[in-house]
Amino acid sequence: MSWLAKIRRVGRMVEPAGEAPEVTVAPPTGVTGSLQLRHVDSGSCNGCELEIAGAFSPVYDAERFGARLVASPRHADAVLATGVVTHNMRQPLLNTLNAVPEPRLVIAVGDCACNGGVFTKGYGVVGPVGDVIPVDVHVPGCPPTPPQIIAALRTVTGR
Amino acid sequence: MLPAPVGGPVPERHVGAEAALSGGLTSLLGAAGLALGLSVIFGDPRHLRIGWLLPLVGVSFDLDPLGGVFVAATGAVSVAVGVYSVGYAKRGRWARLPMVTLPLFVAGLLLVPAAGSVTTFLLSWELMAATSLVLVLSEHRRDAVRSAGAFYAVMTQLGFVAILLALVILAAAGGGDTFATIAAHAPGLTSGTRTTVFLLTLVGFGSKAGLLPLHAWLPKAHPEAPSPVSALMSAAMVNMGIYGIIRIDLQLLGPGPHWWGLTLMIFGALSAVFGVLQASVATDLKQLLAYSTTENMGLVTLALGAAALLSSSGAPAVAAIAMTAALLHLLSHAAFKSLGFLAAGSVLSATGLRDLDKLGGLARRMPATTVLFGIAALGASGLPLGAGFASEWLLFQSLIHSPHDSNTVLALAMPLSVGAVALTTGLGIAAMVKAFGVGFLARPRTAAAGAAREAPASMLAGMSLAAAACTVFAVAPVLLGPTLRHVLGELPTLGGSAEGPALGTILRLPGVAGSISPGLLAAALVIAILLAVGIARWSTRHRPPATETALWACGADALGPRMQYTATSFAEPLQRVFDDILRPDTDVEITHFAESQYLVEKVTYRTRLDDPVEQRFYTPVVRAVRMWAQLVRRAHNGSIHLYLTYGALWMLIVLLVAK
Repeated sequence: MSWLAKIRRVGRMVEPAGEAPEVTVAPPTGVTGSLQLRHVDSGSCNGCELEIAGAFSPVYDAERFGARLVASPRHADAVLATGVVTHNMRQPLLNTLNAVPEPRLVIAVGDCACNGGVFTKGYGVVGPVGDVIPVDVHVPGCPPTPPQIIAALRTVTGR
Repeated sequence: MLPAPVGGPVPERHVGAEAALSGGLTSLLGAAGLALGLSVIFGDPRHLRIGWLLPLVGVSFDLDPLGGVFVAATGAVSVAVGVYSVGYAKRGRWARLPMVTLPLFVAGLLLVPAAGSVTTFLLSWELMAATSLVLVLSEHRRDAVRSAGAFYAVMTQLGFVAILLALVILAAAGGGDTFATIAAHAPGLTSGTRTTVFLLTLVGFGSKAGLLPLHAWLPKAHPEAPSPVSALMSAAMVNMGIYGIIRIDLQLLGPGPHWWGLTLMIFGALSAVFGVLQASVATDLKQLLAYSTTENMGLVTLALGAAALLSSSGAPAVAAIAMTAALLHLLSHAAFKSLGFLAAGSVLSATGLRDLDKLGGLARRMPATTVLFGIAALGASGLPLGAGFASEWLLFQSLIHSPHDSNTVLALAMPLSVGAVALTTGLGIAAMVKAFGVGFLARPRTAAAGAAREAPASMLAGMSLAAAACTVFAVAPVLLGPTLRHVLGELPTLGGSAEGPALGTILRLPGVAGSISPGLLAAALVIAILLAVGIARWSTRHRPPATETALWACGADALGPRMQYTATSFAEPLQRVFDDILRPDTDVEITHFAESQYLVEKVTYRTRLDDPVEQRFYTPVVRAVRMWAQLVRRAHNGSIHLYLTYGALWMLIVLLVAK
């Protein structure tokens, strides 16, 4: 069928936005509605990655609120860290954070990144993200749902 | 490749003293030429006749302002090259022969525009050609140099034969040997004679100037010659081709029909577009500059053709603008091309490399050479603040302001020429950005480039002289106004009768609406840049201090210098777009493992860019000549009696014909 008819049939499928939560962390750039995120997976099971992908999908659409995933830490305002920090990924995580220009934030997504989760005592594990780099925003959950992730991002973007 | 010590290990040879003598003599000759040329332009023409030097005709020199401007340009280039070669010849440990031949080459170059008779012209031309061939073969131990020298020798001599025929026909029909006699008899020449002479001189002088399709020697000979010689060849010798066209075709033979100007415009436009296209995909620095010479000579010829066509169509004011553009572009090309080749020579003697894909990072190691090459590249691209800007602007103005109510030839030719010149300028900028950015900026791609050291003082002094000339052309072309006005007065059939453009601080074009001021434009640009930098500094004065961290390499180990853009990758989009014209030769070779045809061990990719004009047109000609030679060989069976019979037979025929 024609694309106009398809648009009419599908309608609007994005989740309603809801109330903007209070801004708890000052946006690093000083403006609201603009947060460039560089995602780093330092040892996760990819569950949080799937939820983040869902948060940036057309159904939940995090970009409405100003959050955006970028490819290079040089372009980023904040690091979106998932997973517990393994020995191999400790230095790359530090390198990535050092490549982000100041002022910058770190947002830890998932139980593993916040407090080690189910992998706390693993032999290949250094610890949660907070043991390696200072964390500004925690998003608990195993994995956190897309609305929870978006609510946490909105506390930074202010939209 | 570093210039190899050609003379062999000669004990107790004071190369430095010999180089200083050779370079000093070259500079002195150049200074004398410059002074003589300027004195003739602003004073009276000079004559010199030495009757006893040659049997029957003697040697006669006639220097007028037209010849004077070429002598002055050659002299100025030779001064810079002479100073430069003091250091270059010492570093390269030149043999005695090239050191002796360099001043002789300059002498030949100075004599050609001064020649006042056909014999003197041809003799000076051959002196110039022979000495240039010796100099091209300076490093004859290398195969590439020998093959380039052979190619150059054949094409130069073929061009000379064409010029010889043309001038001999002209002298026979004109009733005398000297140019003055020929000029007096020129109105009485038949149209057939004039056409023949025009076509032959176009072939001969066009080949020397590097115009299509007889340009193939330029990108072969210029890179293989030592750099001061390349600078002289590109900045002074190719001008002699243009001088020949102006003197013989446009001045002596008088005003020609429309198709003369049109032919010059067509060949000029083709040379310009093809030359700059090859330059934009070239990876050898000196070959890039050599193709750029073809491009610029094409632009000069286009301007000459436009002047001739406009003048014969009854628009002398616009023709004067076109002629001024031609002369100014010739002079500014001499300035920035000589600087470009001298800087390339500085890079070659410091790193031993000409390949842009292997250079890089020279801005830190050779800062003076980088700045000087930057000035040359800016001049070659024709942008404001560059030496070539005023002449390109004048050329555009002359093409745009052609009269509306004239013949269809003019109405068709001018917009097409504007398109050709615009394409040339755009591609030229790409070529120069590639040469400067890939060759001098970022990091060195090989160890040899990383080991570069700055050139010695004499080489820098020579380059600075050329850079000073470039700066004059860029910001103050007003200084050349009187010179160009005097030369234009010598060419009444090319717009000299009208008042030429006024080269003041603001260039004004009488009769048409157009004015620009390169000096004010340059000053405005500099002020704007300083303002922008100042505001940026002031607005970030509260930023935290900068910290030093490693380059971001996407999380992998450190980036290697081989991961940077190369000249090949920079030019790849252009090569793809112009694939049909350039016809690159690409070869992909896949080696499989012996045990399994499904697994690939190695993939080799090879690409080669030859000159398509040479492959298309020269190869059939050479094949035909070879077939003919095989046929004629049958007549050579070794019998002396038969050869004597041939001699007698031909003598008989010549006597019958001459009767």
